[in-house]
Order: sequence, then C-alpha cells, then structure tokens
Amino acid sequence: MEDKTEREKDTIILGVIGSDCHSVGNKILELFFTAEGFKVVNLGVMVSQQEFVDAAIETNAKAILVSSLYGHGEIDCQGFRDLCIEKGLDPIILYAGGNLVVGKTPFSVVEAKFKKMGFDRVFPPDVDLKKVAELLRQDIQEKFGSDSREAKLDKSIQAKESL
Amino acid sequence: MKPVISIDIGSTWTKGALFALTDSSLQLSKKIAVPTTQTNLVQGFTEVLASLLNREKLTPLKQMVGKAEIYFSSSAKGGLRIAAIGLVPDLTLQLAKLAAMSAGGKVIRSFSFSLTKSDVAELEKLQPDIVLFSGGTDGGNTKYILENAHKLEDSRLTCPVVYAGNRGVAEEVVEIMKSKEVIVTENLMPEVGQVNIEPAREKIREIFLKRIVNGRGLSEIVELFGSQPKPTPLAVFELVSAIPQFHPDWSDLAAIDIGGATTDFYSNTESYLETDTVILKGIREPRVKRTVEGDLGMRVSARSLLDTGRVYIEDRLRNLGIEPEVMEKFVEKISGNTEYLPETEAEIQLDRILAETCVYYAALRHAGGWKETYTPQGKVYVQTGKDLRRVKAIVGSGGFLAAEGSAEVMRLPLEKLRSFGDEKKLLPENPAFYRDRDYLFPLLGNLVEKYPKEATTLALASLEIASDEGM
Repeated sequence: MEDKTEREKDTIILGVIGSDCHSVGNKILELFFTAEGFKVVNLGVMVSQQEFVDAAIETNAKAILVSSLYGHGEIDCQGFRDLCIEKGLDPIILYAGGNLVVGKTPFSVVEAKFKKMGFDRVFPPDVDLKKVAELLRQDIQEKFGSDSREAKLDKSIQAKESL
Repeated sequence: MKPVISIDIGSTWTKGALFALTDSSLQLSKKIAVPTTQTNLVQGFTEVLASLLNREKLTPLKQMVGKAEIYFSSSAKGGLRIAAIGLVPDLTLQLAKLAAMSAGGKVIRSFSFSLTKSDVAELEKLQPDIVLFSGGTDGGNTKYILENAHKLEDSRLTCPVVYAGNRGVAEEVVEIMKSKEVIVTENLMPEVGQVNIEPAREKIREIFLKRIVNGRGLSEIVELFGSQPKPTPLAVFELVSAIPQFHPDWSDLAAIDIGGATTDFYSNTESYLETDTVILKGIREPRVKRTVEGDLGMRVSARSLLDTGRVYIEDRLRNLGIEPEVMEKFVEKISGNTEYLPETEAEIQLDRILAETCVYYAALRHAGGWKETYTPQGKVYVQTGKDLRRVKAIVGSGGFLAAEGSAEVMRLPLEKLRSFGDEKKLLPENPAFYRDRDYLFPLLGNLVEKYPKEATTLALASLEIASDEGM
C-alpha cells in the first residue's frame, strides 16, 4: 500500500459523531489508517452528519467511518444513509464503530440496528483494526473497482457523458 | 524630506493627501476632497493633485510628473462585482466569498453544488466583473466542477473566470472553457478545513488592475506616475494587516467603515483559540478578514438597511419614543437625496440609529459565535466563525464614523449583540473605540506596501479616542 502516491490513495472520512468529545481513539484511528495507506480526512470530535457528508463531497471520499463512544450513537446515526442519498453520495461506504449504545445490549442486536440504518459494517470496541482495514480495502474494491485511479477516470468520463 | 501623495478615487469624492516623509516618519501636510466625475476619473485626480502641489486647477498631469511620489486607489463604484461558485456552502463556497471580499470585491451572488439553468441565466443577467470558481479539495470532487465548467462555457458570460478549485482537474477546466478567459490559481481549500485564499486574492487584484486601468481611463496616470491603483477596500485591508506587525500593542484590532452604499468590517486577530472546552466547526477563518455588506449603508442602501435592520431599528425607536413613521419618512428623504446631511437634532438622532444598525448587522455577520452544548464529559462550546473576543481596539472609519465623536454608536449595538438567539456572539470583550477623524485609513493604506512602518505609525497617531458621552 505504501507505494501509492498521494493522489492514488483512497480518501476516507473519520470523526466522532454527535455531542461526543472522546478524542483519543479518534487520533489513533487517524494514525492507523494513514499508515495503512489511506488518505485520511479527520474531522475530530462532535461531528454532525452534515459535516461528514460535506467533507465527503468535497474530497470525493469512498468511505465514512463514524465513531461513537458515549452510548448515544443510535440516535446520532439515524438517517445518516438517507442524508448521503439526498446529497448524491449513494455508493459511499458507511462504517460505524465504538460503544454504540448504552447498556448491555448484545453486539449482534446493535449490529442489526445499524445495518438497518444503512451502515455497511458495524464494529464493537474491541475489534482488530487490521481486520477493519482489510475489509475496507475489499469493500472499496467491490464498489469502486480495483485500481482507484482507474475508478476516478471512469467517473470523470461518466460525468462528461451525463452532461 | 520627500513629498508623498496618496489619492483615493471614490464613487462620490476624490480624496487626496500630501505627506512629508522624513528619515523615519510621515507627517500629514495637506488634505483635500473634490467631487468625482464618474465619466472621467482622471479629472478629479488631476484637480486633487494640482491642489496638493499648489498648482492651477487645470494644470496638465504631465507638468506634475516628478514633483512627488504618487500612490492611488479607486473604489470602482464600490469594488469589483464578484460572483462566487463553490461546492459545499460551508466549505469551499464560504472560502470563495471570504477570498472575494478580502480582495476588496463585493459578492453579488453565490452558488453551491450544480449550477442550474436559472443560475446561469442570472449570472448572464448580472454580468459580474469576475467569476470566482472553486470546489473540491485537491484530488477530491471533480463531478460538480466539470459539470459547472461546461455550463459556464456554454453561457454568454464574458468576464474573466478565476479557477481556484480542485487542482486535479484545473487543466481539464481550462480545456472545457476554451472560449472564456480562465485564470488558474491554487485551490482555496486544498484539504478539508485548510484555508488558502491568498493566491486567489492576488489574481483578483491583478484583474482589478487590468480592468480599472484600461476600462476606466486610468492608464494615463499609471504611465505618467508609474504607480498602480489598488481597490480602496484592499488598501484598508493592507493597513489593518500591517498595523500589528509594526505595533505589537495593537496586535488585535478591528475597523468598521460605514459608507453610503456599504458597510465594511475588518478584523485582525486569531480566529480560534484551541482549548478542551471549545470545539471549532467549519473552516478556521484567516487572521485578517474583511466582510462587506451591500445591504447596509447610510444613503444609497438606506432602504435595504431599513428592511434588514427592522428588528433593531424598531427596538431603538420604541426605547426613544419615536414613531416608526418618522424613520420611514426620513429614509425616504435620504434615499432620494443621497448627499443629504441631517439638519436637526431629531434627524441627527435618526442618522445615528441607522449607523448603529449598520454596526449591529455587519458585526453579526462578521463575528462568530458559541453554542453551549452539554456532553457526558461536561459542558463544551461549539464555535462557528471567527472569535473577536481578544480585539482590544475598534476603529470607526468612513464618512459617518469618522465624523461621529461618540463611541456609543459602536458600543451600544455591540452590547446588544452579545447574545443572538441561543448563540453567544464572540465580540470584542472590552474594546477601546477610536475614530479615524481625518479619514486617512484608505489614503495611508495606499502607502503600506512601500512605507509600512511610517504609514501604520501615522494611521495610529491620527486616531482619536471616541468619547464616552451618551447620545
């Protein structure tokens, strides 16, 4: 992955959603995914859905990784996929992870809830990040094609044709 | 001692001053203003120059060459009319507007996402002087930009287009827009949240020069005296930028200029102080910032001021026991006669209320705010826009504020603005108020590039503390 140039890297958006100020994990994620060869746009803490979407539009991002650690993730994430569709980001990959809900709800229930909301993958707090990066590469390849530069070219041709 | 002359060609007045430059200081020797002839800008310029050099009124320009160093600015009817195009309203479009205003321009219309047919029709009708075209981070979005490039190419627009968007498609944009004059510069926002407005500002300035010099007959002045004009607001911007560099005591300042048609607000202070309890949302605004409000003005824009400022104005009238109709009538009178100066105590009071309203709404739009939010980790503030709390000095410049001796006209509206809705506005906490009594800011702004230390020193020395007496 390290041999990709800055322009060839896939852009992903990171941030902690809602009124959540937990910033340590967010910084670790930024370092980790950067090392994994992604171009990371980190929006930091207390990020609204609108901010995630705005940043994804400007940067032509392939994925948004939403963190939530304070237990209110379910409310904060409601309607996220809908907003993406409204804003024309239909194919974008959405991941959610962290302490997504309060209490001792089994993870499978949480996962089902978030998938129903339109998130492609949901992760518990103790997930192996290496695994997440691997899945992310797979998902990007599946949705956007194997070579990101090719995918970009295809898209600009499409854009021209749609005019 | 060397004579230095600075002239500002405004839309109604051409103002000029003669300064004496010694080894280390600049002194004001003489000041004059004559009416501007819109059809011939050189006429007022010549008249002012002749008077400053003690010559006959009709002395030809040629005979005055070499008698003094000459610098000049022109407001070009309120500055260049710029249409701003961005992608997301809070990101690249916001920066495009900031860049346009900081270059001394006026944003006449702004567009986000895809241009619609009616957007393009409106652009054609408005015929802006410049289109500032941005969108996408470097390597980011291309779809909207290429789409808009095609639409602009197919439009009947004739003005230059400054492209300051995604670098990755800059060449393609130029190719698409082959029938237009496209000037490519660096991206306004190369990365999300990274602000890079200087290169675009510089391009706008270059276009201003070409337009004003060739289009308005100023080439004669440029050729004879070898100096290029600046847009008037840019001259003030440069002065406000330079003051803290040479006078650390004035590290944080703001200036308000209320004119007949517009109100300008300048600030020079760090826009965000990072702490654990304050979180900035949106872009981090530049340290030096200018905003200009086309709907806030004392004469030409008095009508729109009445509409924009209705809430503030009605509140003030109620407190002072003045009937709203009195203000309506006054505004009607001054809109029809834009040279009018108030004649009675009552009219002076009405004029002051209008000026307060300009200050209120210009500050509302220029300054950022905090919203209190409770999180499981405690109370935090979410900041949007620019933090002006550390501003220690506010200078009133321009026709009305230069003439107004009382600080109240600035202090009162700012006090009333401290909270707006559920937002705490980030206004100067305990500022001193000054007035630019001789209205030297634009004239000294012209000299900043060449004599920054001397010009800023004289600008500060010529300020007068605005008195605290109530109105």
